[in-house]
Amino acid sequence: MKAAARLKPGTHFIEGNLALAEGAIAAGCRFMAGYPITPASEIPNRLSQLLPTVGGVFLQTEDEIAAVCSAIGASWAGLKAMTATSGPGISLMQENIGLAASTETPLVIVDVMRFGPSTGVPSVGLAGDVVQVARGSHGDYQIIALCPESPQEMYDHMIRAFNLAERFRCPVFVLPDGFIGHMREQVVIPPDQEIELAQRKIAASGTTPLERQDFLDPEVAPMPVFGRGLQAHVTSSCHNSQGMRNLTDPEVMHTYATMPMQKILRKRDQIVEVAADYAPGDLVIVAYGTVARSARAAAQTARAQGLAVGTLCLKTLWPFPDQEVAAAAQQARAVLVLENNTGQMLPYIKAEAATHCPVQFLGPRLLGQIQEPAAVLARVKEMLS
Amino acid sequence: MAKVTLFPQACKGMEDCGICATVCPKELFVSSGEMNEAGYVPPRLTAPQECTGCESCMLSCPDMAIVVVKEKSEKAS
Amino acid sequence: MSLAAHPLRKYTRPHVKKTTTCPGCGNGVVAQAILWAIDELNREEGLTMDDFVFVSGIGCSAWIPSPLFAADTLHTTHGRPIAFATGVKLGLPQQKVLVASGDGDLAAIGGNHLIHAARRNIDLTVVMVNNGIYGMTGGQTAPTTPRGLHTITSPYGTMEPEFNVAAMVAAAGAPYVARWTTYHPRQLKRAIKKGIQKQGFAFIEAISQCPVQYGRVSKLGRATAILEHFKNSSVKLAKAKDMSEAELAGKITVGEFCDRQAPELASQWSALRDALGKEQG
Repeated sequence: MKAAARLKPGTHFIEGNLALAEGAIAAGCRFMAGYPITPASEIPNRLSQLLPTVGGVFLQTEDEIAAVCSAIGASWAGLKAMTATSGPGISLMQENIGLAASTETPLVIVDVMRFGPSTGVPSVGLAGDVVQVARGSHGDYQIIALCPESPQEMYDHMIRAFNLAERFRCPVFVLPDGFIGHMREQVVIPPDQEIELAQRKIAASGTTPLERQDFLDPEVAPMPVFGRGLQAHVTSSCHNSQGMRNLTDPEVMHTYATMPMQKILRKRDQIVEVAADYAPGDLVIVAYGTVARSARAAAQTARAQGLAVGTLCLKTLWPFPDQEVAAAAQQARAVLVLENNTGQMLPYIKAEAATHCPVQFLGPRLLGQIQEPAAVLARVKEMLS
Repeated sequence: MAKVTLFPQACKGMEDCGICATVCPKELFVSSGEMNEAGYVPPRLTAPQECTGCESCMLSCPDMAIVVVKEKSEKAS
Repeated sequence: MSLAAHPLRKYTRPHVKKTTTCPGCGNGVVAQAILWAIDELNREEGLTMDDFVFVSGIGCSAWIPSPLFAADTLHTTHGRPIAFATGVKLGLPQQKVLVASGDGDLAAIGGNHLIHAARRNIDLTVVMVNNGIYGMTGGQTAPTTPRGLHTITSPYGTMEPEFNVAAMVAAAGAPYVARWTTYHPRQLKRAIKKGIQKQGFAFIEAISQCPVQYGRVSKLGRATAILEHFKNSSVKLAKAKDMSEAELAGKITVGEFCDRQAPELASQWSALRDALGKEQG
């Protein structure tokens, strides 16, 4: 039996999905469950090779529901766990994404987004799930979502995603679209010792739930990981800070729903990342994912032609970079929003920007064909004239 | 011989449950006529000395309200 | 000598004084059968509650371990406990992982997970409480409801045949499958104990009484009447073999559907990791 080997530290020319799989192993992922789906399948393909060589497990499940559930189970067993899928799989997982949020389970979910709705066009990338990952499960909850725009960021964001999941005990999404998933580009893989890894805090041994706070701590409670005699009580029902079911006390209900959100939102400054490249008075192009590349290319050309154009590329989609968008709009002459969809994030961006300056949207001319930098430049000139 | 211990506060009542009375081969369980804290009426044993220690009541009680402990007979000890 | 507490109380969370079940509900019988099985394994093999993780789904019987059992308990979403338990077991292969849930949870909404867990042969013990009805939601038809019964959602009588879940799980490849009723608490306990000891997927179907909902729609009424029905309708598998389909109509076949050895998933993963680890030096 020949064991597969991880890519060695150094510079590689690889596909985004492969970079992501290498990043997962480097991040300490030791459990992946998944179901084959285009354009994400290269991730389970690669992790099924690598995981057993690093002491981990890969499980190909009967469907995406089982994938997310078994990953949550493995996380409670103490492993860094993930699943990877595309939009149809996320739609199936939604109920249990809510469970992961409410039971404060560290979990990384990769969604290599594709053209929808419905079965749609599997091999065409489209940022179709950017709102459903945050709002698709029932009830109020908060997740973290990162949005890579290159194979290098596929690697880097996986490290960050696992670290955030461990730190905040919550589901963290990595949201490339299919174009990034299948894009081949230079990826620099650092040596393991240069990668900083976070580990979840674990509840003190020799204690029982009534002696602890296992949930609903604004500073993130230590996790009562299974198999350590902690008698953890984990329930998808409304529960108090000890994890005990309570379906009668309005104070408990309120805290159960809001505290897992607050623990993330209060620390949003440590989570939200944007790449801001604009000056006061610029027309600022706001973009994320694949089309952030079009935004930069267009801005570069515009500047070369003497036009005042900047960019704000969102690396974190959730928590939504509200302050960063507002700050850009306050200084901007106008904002142009680029998305690889019909404008899913536009209402959120407008809510922050439209009181400060005019906001326009530019989607792909044909959905599924991302915006050409030339088309972006044409719109920029139109807005500036 | 066997010793039967009842935990009347855990019982959910002869009226709605009453499984102990049905499974006891000696028909030793009858209503105690007294309500517990939850408002259920637990059983009492009519003739405890007749218990054979078959444990059916203990194993069939859904509320862990009955324990049967077999006592060693004097001959055996 | 009078006892201060029920001996099984050492396996329950001290602050949980009462179960949430209706009077006469079979869930308590199954809960006890599980705990008596563990009690025997404690005395014979030294197993403790710390060696277990209990996983359940949604429905009345999903509350058997949660919050009652003093162990790691994971109460999940409707139909998915086996999927969660699979991840727990693969992450903690040394733990005993037991799923307790109902027929609606495991055989209707979660049926596919049940089939595939049996096929995979992952070392779980699944105790399915089958009361033939949706109890918590108010007496709707389940896939296990006997044909012809008038339920809340089949007011003109169910037209669908009932699901023979134990036979299906055995056909899917589970190495240990048994069915008993709550009229058979000793056999139930023994089957659960055997299931826990079995290295592989063990499925124990416990036909159980729901006096409130099933008792109402079946007009059997009280728990004791349903138990009487179980007593009169149960036929041992060995005897059932020689009976015609007509003779078996309305009967509950009980006993062991299978007890065999098969390669188990979590231990195969351990072996693979060891082999690859050695190969890498």
